[in-house]
Amino acid sequence: MILCVDDEKNPLVLRKLVLERAGYEVITAGSGKEALEILSSRAVDLVLSDHLMPGMSGAELAKEIKNQNPQMPVVLISGVNDIPAEADVADAFVSKVEGPESLRRQVAAVLLEKTGDTGPPLGQ
Amino acid sequence: MSTPMPVNILMVDDQPGKLLSYEAILGPLGENLLKANSGREALEYLLRTDIAVVLMDVSMPDIDGFQLADMIREHPRFQKTAIIFISAVHLTDGDRIKGYERGAVDYISVPVIPELLRAKVTVFAELYRKTQQLEKLNRELEQRVAERTEALRESENQFRSLANSIPQLAWMADASGSIFWYNQRWYDYTGTTLDEVKGWGWDVVHHPDHLQQVTEKFRHSISTGEQWEDTFPLRGKDGNYRWFLSRAVPIQDVNGKIVRWFGTNTDITERKQAEEALIKSERLAAMGRLAGIIAHEINNPLEAISNAFYLLRDHPSLDEEARYYSKLAEEELARVAHITKQTLSFYRESQQAVAVSLSEVLDNVIELQSRRLQVNSIVLERQIETTGVVQGYAVELKQVFLNLIGNAIQAMPEGGRLRVRLVQSSDRRNGRPGVRVSIYDTGTGILPEHAKRIFEPFFSTKDAKGTGLGLWISKGIVQKYEGTIRFRSLRNGRVHGTCFSVFIPAVATTVPPTRAAMLVA
Repeated sequence: MILCVDDEKNPLVLRKLVLERAGYEVITAGSGKEALEILSSRAVDLVLSDHLMPGMSGAELAKEIKNQNPQMPVVLISGVNDIPAEADVADAFVSKVEGPESLRRQVAAVLLEKTGDTGPPLGQ
Repeated sequence: MSTPMPVNILMVDDQPGKLLSYEAILGPLGENLLKANSGREALEYLLRTDIAVVLMDVSMPDIDGFQLADMIREHPRFQKTAIIFISAVHLTDGDRIKGYERGAVDYISVPVIPELLRAKVTVFAELYRKTQQLEKLNRELEQRVAERTEALRESENQFRSLANSIPQLAWMADASGSIFWYNQRWYDYTGTTLDEVKGWGWDVVHHPDHLQQVTEKFRHSISTGEQWEDTFPLRGKDGNYRWFLSRAVPIQDVNGKIVRWFGTNTDITERKQAEEALIKSERLAAMGRLAGIIAHEINNPLEAISNAFYLLRDHPSLDEEARYYSKLAEEELARVAHITKQTLSFYRESQQAVAVSLSEVLDNVIELQSRRLQVNSIVLERQIETTGVVQGYAVELKQVFLNLIGNAIQAMPEGGRLRVRLVQSSDRRNGRPGVRVSIYDTGTGILPEHAKRIFEPFFSTKDAKGTGLGLWISKGIVQKYEGTIRFRSLRNGRVHGTCFSVFIPAVATTVPPTRAAMLVA
């Protein structure tokens, strides 16, 4: 189960669909606050969050998640050109321009490293 | 009769009675009367004291008056001492002349008429007094002149040492603007001599592009008396020009008339370069920020659209035609992504500059381009003469040569030769050691009207194929390494082609760690 976080609706939905196409189960949150609420009640394998969001940024969210559960894999995705120093708390930082295939690969790599998961069941 | 300053009157006669009578006659004059009984005694007096007038008898036993006069005259000190001869014998014209020839001043014949003797002695005593006063005055004047001369020399020396100690070049011109003096720094900097640059000869160290304007402005100040200020390059003895801020002020006499001009030239080359560099770096930083903001705004929807087409591509409901449209759209999207990616290189670099071998970087780039070289029938000439180790970031340097070699290949669609040369070299500007990479192609060459613009962002000759950022980014990276990037291009009938030459110092003093080539470009 992947928790996808973004304040922008269309990109969030499309990212969810790409990951679902890759075979993952995906739930979404529209903000860092909402993501933390979901995490407190549901079992999640990985959090994929946009970095630049109003209110809580992706890096702040990652820090909060790691505080509560250091084992939780967190991947940040962003369109900014400069990797913010505070993003180091995340397990990976993905560029939006790299495209859907790259996103799939990086999510799979983090899951493998953090949980030993060899990948999602093959997509439809 | 009293006199303000008695003078010595020496009376010489072998007969004491005569001396007494002269004393009686001259007593009222109030002068010091000295008596000598012989020529010898007279000489002793003369050597001991200053004598105004010598009154002497012509006929004396041991040394007569004429002999004594001769002896007196031989002494330089007494050459102008007044002598009055008293002659008891009848004076012939011959005696008279003889006396004058010896420089005697006057004669008195016997019997002596007291009034006449007094009158003559008085005249000579006065003459002596006046001469003494004049000489004294003269000595005082000479003393004062000497003192003033010394003071002037001192102040001149002070001025010169001051003028030579200031960091500026300095000079003085007369009222007409003709320069007659330069300080030592002027000669040290320009390597000229006064003869070469005096008057208006300084034009030899001016840049021909500026000379006319400089001369006009200077002449204007000279004719109006207004302070002069101008900024222009001056050629040093090494042949290089440096920029100087120059000022001259008129120096006026007590009546306000301009007597000369004092001027200085202050080297502002470094200030000027720093200002220019600052403006440039501010402009680049602003562009970098702008590009970053724009790219970020583009990247968000770009990701969404890319994802949408990714999902659409294999959707079962699409027929072949719809899939073709989708494929075209995805390809074009890939181009947009390529542009933003190139603008915002996303590579996470090491935080410290490391030793990078440019020969490895070049081999890597050539390997990447090997297929294109083959397809375009381009012959590669590899002239790698050194490992070319510099301190820096491999990804950035790879980006530079990927751009240059990529451009070279694109310039030769009909085939040609690509020469990649790597040599040890030094910076032409300051002799700093480093590495030079030259990329030669036998392509179409760069149009002269494009030559000035090729390093500008968003300038491209490749129409839809290029981003117009490659050379701009390359230049930014090279400049960050304190290197240079230049090119030469020929479009000359059969001979055509382009050479890009990149110099990278072996050790740059400031290569900041970077995450995105764009931001530091």
